[in-house]
Amino acid sequence: MEKLEVLDKGKAEIHFTPPDEFRKFVRDRKNRAFEDKLMDEGEAVKKFVKNGDYLAYDFSSLTRGPQSLIREIIRQRIRNLWILAKFTLLESVLLAGAGCVDKIDVGFLGFGPYIAKKVQEGAVKVYDWSNGSVTYRLVAGAMGIPFIPARDLLGTDTLKHSGAVVVKDPFSNQPVALMPALNPDVAVIHVQEADIYGNARVYGPTVATLETAMASKRVIISAERIVETIEFREHPNWTTIPYYCVDAVVHAPFGSYPGGTQGYYEMDSEHYLKLTSIRTDEEMQSYLEEYIYSVDSHDEFLEKKIGISRLKELIQKSQILEGYR
Amino acid sequence: MEIEFTDTEFMICNAARLLEDNRTIFVGWGIPQVVAILAEKLYAPNIVQVFEFGAIGPLSRTPFLRGTMGGPSNTYRSLQWCSMNLAFSYAQAGYIDYGMLGAAQIDRYGNINSTMIGDDYEKPKVRFPGSGGGNEVASYCWKTIIVMAHEKRRFVERCDFITSPGHVIDGKTREELGLPAETGPYRVITSMGMFGFDEKTGELKLLGVMKGFTVEEVLEEMAIEPLVAEKVVELEPPTELELKTLREDIDPYGLIISKGRKIKMEV
Repeated sequence: MEKLEVLDKGKAEIHFTPPDEFRKFVRDRKNRAFEDKLMDEGEAVKKFVKNGDYLAYDFSSLTRGPQSLIREIIRQRIRNLWILAKFTLLESVLLAGAGCVDKIDVGFLGFGPYIAKKVQEGAVKVYDWSNGSVTYRLVAGAMGIPFIPARDLLGTDTLKHSGAVVVKDPFSNQPVALMPALNPDVAVIHVQEADIYGNARVYGPTVATLETAMASKRVIISAERIVETIEFREHPNWTTIPYYCVDAVVHAPFGSYPGGTQGYYEMDSEHYLKLTSIRTDEEMQSYLEEYIYSVDSHDEFLEKKIGISRLKELIQKSQILEGYR
Repeated sequence: MEIEFTDTEFMICNAARLLEDNRTIFVGWGIPQVVAILAEKLYAPNIVQVFEFGAIGPLSRTPFLRGTMGGPSNTYRSLQWCSMNLAFSYAQAGYIDYGMLGAAQIDRYGNINSTMIGDDYEKPKVRFPGSGGGNEVASYCWKTIIVMAHEKRRFVERCDFITSPGHVIDGKTREELGLPAETGPYRVITSMGMFGFDEKTGELKLLGVMKGFTVEEVLEEMAIEPLVAEKVVELEPPTELELKTLREDIDPYGLIISKGRKIKMEV
């Protein structure tokens, strides 16, 4: 019997769940009943996010990011998270600043000086991957297979600091990188529309919405609006996530603030710049106190910290509807 | 007549002139996308942008805005909105002609660094955002174009950290490493010149210098000595139309094009 030859191996620690363990979790813990999963973000995070979890979030800081759920995770002072940072400019910085995060798998970490300092000081540990390889890892996790072969990372230092393994592919006899499946403990995803059971619809580019939801043990969806289930049955092609992947549904208008959500509101550039100009721990703590710890909920955040006139301006700026309705 | 432009404008215009029409190009936010939009407006009307966010062939609206790669204005009227998995798989399967990337460091074989500076990975002197989709772009696209400021310290014998692959890494060729055949860095556009790569050895080769500079002046600003083409061409500064298009249409707020040193030139 020929053996598969291992040619190279990255040295990163990986979060890995054997496929059978994940399948059994899905069998026993993912609910196939049509159960009303609507709850507020406080209850959702309390029930489904735990200290030490591997957390994934989909899409970017500036467009359809799950910001209200990230703020709730910070508010509940969840600790020792390991996060997947793909298109992250704000979430990772806030989570690290609030002391929620120990480890980060990096696709693209919009570092900026604040979090760069955290990495340089060793306050957070990073593992370097790439946007493509972490996405393929989620694809494998979603497919229920242990790994997926791909032809990126090969030869680079990125590979050496990732957790990928290079083998000689028995079909082409070429080296190929094996990306271990990623099954996060919990995922938070913001969408335009969801029903109370968790069927969810995303308009616009999706990044890895379905893959992230399928691959994750627990999934919290926040939605700009809650719609009737018949909306999904009328346009089944448009369903992005089916209900049985989802554990909680949170109604969160402006859930992506200070980013935007297509078809609803644009990003708030001023607030975004306020966040990205944070340099010191003192500035970070004062931001967290002002905008997160001092309020009890997303509703209170919008009401007391942002205000209706600002929100109205952001709605007014969002005039492109093509493709989003 | 005297014209004034930034070295960013110089790089953008020279990169845009390289692109052939009726091709697909993988771009990220910033300089790469401005290059693609300028090319679309002046030289290659049917060039098709591909975003890792999952947008194929958007007719991106101008002016170019901050931080909106996946937003409505930038992904306007795409041919397809899809997943990142699919966007990268199009490239892995060979559908994407050009890739365009920036870099903090580049080495003799076109390997690029966008991860960290220093000799201790655990304690970097400077930490950058990491690969993003850069590794996939450099691994999969048929021709990768790198656009970067020309500074001595950025040209090194071997990158402190090879984020994305060039033609040879530590003695092994792309094909030996398992990367897709006949791909790799095609051109490097800097604020002083343009490089290609030797067909046999994969080494960096100076092909052109900005009008007004000598070959020696360009080489002086590099910590390594590249190959030099037999006939080094002169790279034209931005034209009036290019500058007008960049400044009035694409980037009137100067988010991208105002950066870098200002150059005055008699033309």
